[in-house]
Amino acid sequence: MSAMSAIFASGPNIGRRGLASWLAGLSAGGRAAVLAVEVLLLLVVWQLVVGVWGLVNPVFFPAPLDIARGFGELVASGSLAANAAISLQAWLIGFALAVVVGIPVGLLMGGSLPVDKVVGPIAWTIYATPTIAYQPLSKAWFGFGIGPVIFLVTVSALFPILLNVAAGMRTTSPSLLRAGRVYGASRFELYRKVFLPSTVPFLFAGLRQAVVLATIGMVVAEMTGSSSGMGALIIKAANTYQTDQAFAAIFVVVIWSVSMTQVVSLVERWTAPWTRKARR
Amino acid sequence: MTTTTIERPEPGASAPLISVRNLTVSYNVARTGKTLTAIEGVDLDVREGEFVTVLGPSGCGKTTFMNVIAGLVKPTSGEVLVDGRPVTGPGPDRAVVFQDYALLPWRTVFDNVKFGLEMQSRLKGDGWRDRVQEAVELVGLKGFESSYPRELSGGMQQRVGLARAIVAEPRILLMDEPLGAVDALTREVMRDEIEKLIAATGKTVLFITHSIEEAILLGDRIVVFKSHPGAIKEVIETGLERPRSERSVQSEPRFLELRDHLWEALQHEATAAARVAGS
Repeated sequence: MSAMSAIFASGPNIGRRGLASWLAGLSAGGRAAVLAVEVLLLLVVWQLVVGVWGLVNPVFFPAPLDIARGFGELVASGSLAANAAISLQAWLIGFALAVVVGIPVGLLMGGSLPVDKVVGPIAWTIYATPTIAYQPLSKAWFGFGIGPVIFLVTVSALFPILLNVAAGMRTTSPSLLRAGRVYGASRFELYRKVFLPSTVPFLFAGLRQAVVLATIGMVVAEMTGSSSGMGALIIKAANTYQTDQAFAAIFVVVIWSVSMTQVVSLVERWTAPWTRKARR
Repeated sequence: MTTTTIERPEPGASAPLISVRNLTVSYNVARTGKTLTAIEGVDLDVREGEFVTVLGPSGCGKTTFMNVIAGLVKPTSGEVLVDGRPVTGPGPDRAVVFQDYALLPWRTVFDNVKFGLEMQSRLKGDGWRDRVQEAVELVGLKGFESSYPRELSGGMQQRVGLARAIVAEPRILLMDEPLGAVDALTREVMRDEIEKLIAATGKTVLFITHSIEEAILLGDRIVVFKSHPGAIKEVIETGLERPRSERSVQSEPRFLELRDHLWEALQHEATAAARVAGS
């Protein structure tokens, strides 16, 4: 019985650890190669299932090569460039606003209990509300142009930044604060040299979440009642059964979102090298 | 770590450097609404240049005792005098080495050591760089100046903590179980190093520990704490020659005698503590 359970307990673990350690042992180039092979395999299977064997109706789920063709059409007609430029503008303005407001308010919230008590519940309530619920209101407030898009991007990105920064301030190690006091740090120096640096990893975690949520906010805003932007492009293409173009537009948005999280990680590695994970 | 031994000031020659008078610290526990007495009625005089070890079971209030002297915790009643003046907060005459190292993870070894001077606005001129470097080398971390704390072992991190305390040139070094989180082998090596280092600098040290061997090996005097509430049970002069080294001291009859005595005292304390916890 115990021998059996030992085998069952250890069996899958050995296999998993074997694969994991093989992956961990790869160089950066090796890992990239594994990922490339993975993606390529997926695309080939996808192409076979939809494009060659015709098991799925390509109108609902176009094959990779069709999507690539759709992408080519979007580029050629210039509609990708035009819509992406508008989206990019709204995204960047909205995200910048969220950063500019989120960091100081988060610091205040984390640093002062009264501010936290007043702002905290409001922040959590807005954060917990689905973004799309604000869309009709935002159109009423900001009209039909880029305004509502910027608003939704800001609202979506603001709270992960704000709440993470506040959490970072609050979880500053009491032991580091004691050390600061022992060596004579003033209140101001404690904030500048202990609280703030402690909060930096939380800030970057918040920024990464904010990138993803800002992109969702942007697409939601553009999909409902906007005539331009990537969200509008997706809706227009889908409504005219050009699903290949719709998928191409979705991929562009996904690539933007993923690469911006990578940019945030790069900035983190550059400005806060101590947060780099130790190699085990 | 190479150091040269200089003359330690003759103990008892002048007024005590640290004077603890009828010290009581109690906390209000918000959750239960009760008052918890951490230490009660503690009296202790520490002479300049003396190495005093504070020994006691966990939860006996020895860290609270040290925090009051460091100026981090205010006494509920009684007082602590350093050089005749009451302690009202932390000051440059006292530095602390923490059990959990308390190094700033975003600072390199050099910048962590520098912190000891920085907060006291002592980075003016050029001399400070040499002094920081000197402290880094004194604790044996030459070559690790630009490493981050998490790249170092526990023992090395505590060396950084020690260098940060030393560079500030305090008169009193407060050490709160500095080797408590370090592995056994490193602990033995570092005990010897701390002994030599302190002997060389002639600083007054209050060293908190729950290791009997450590208390004997390092201390001129051992202050034994009892718990519930924390108070001094007894104070023992070790009467062992300096410089000491781990191996030479451990075979001396006086060492064995002290060890047996302290074992008995602590065993009694530990069982008493277990009874309180169980009741």
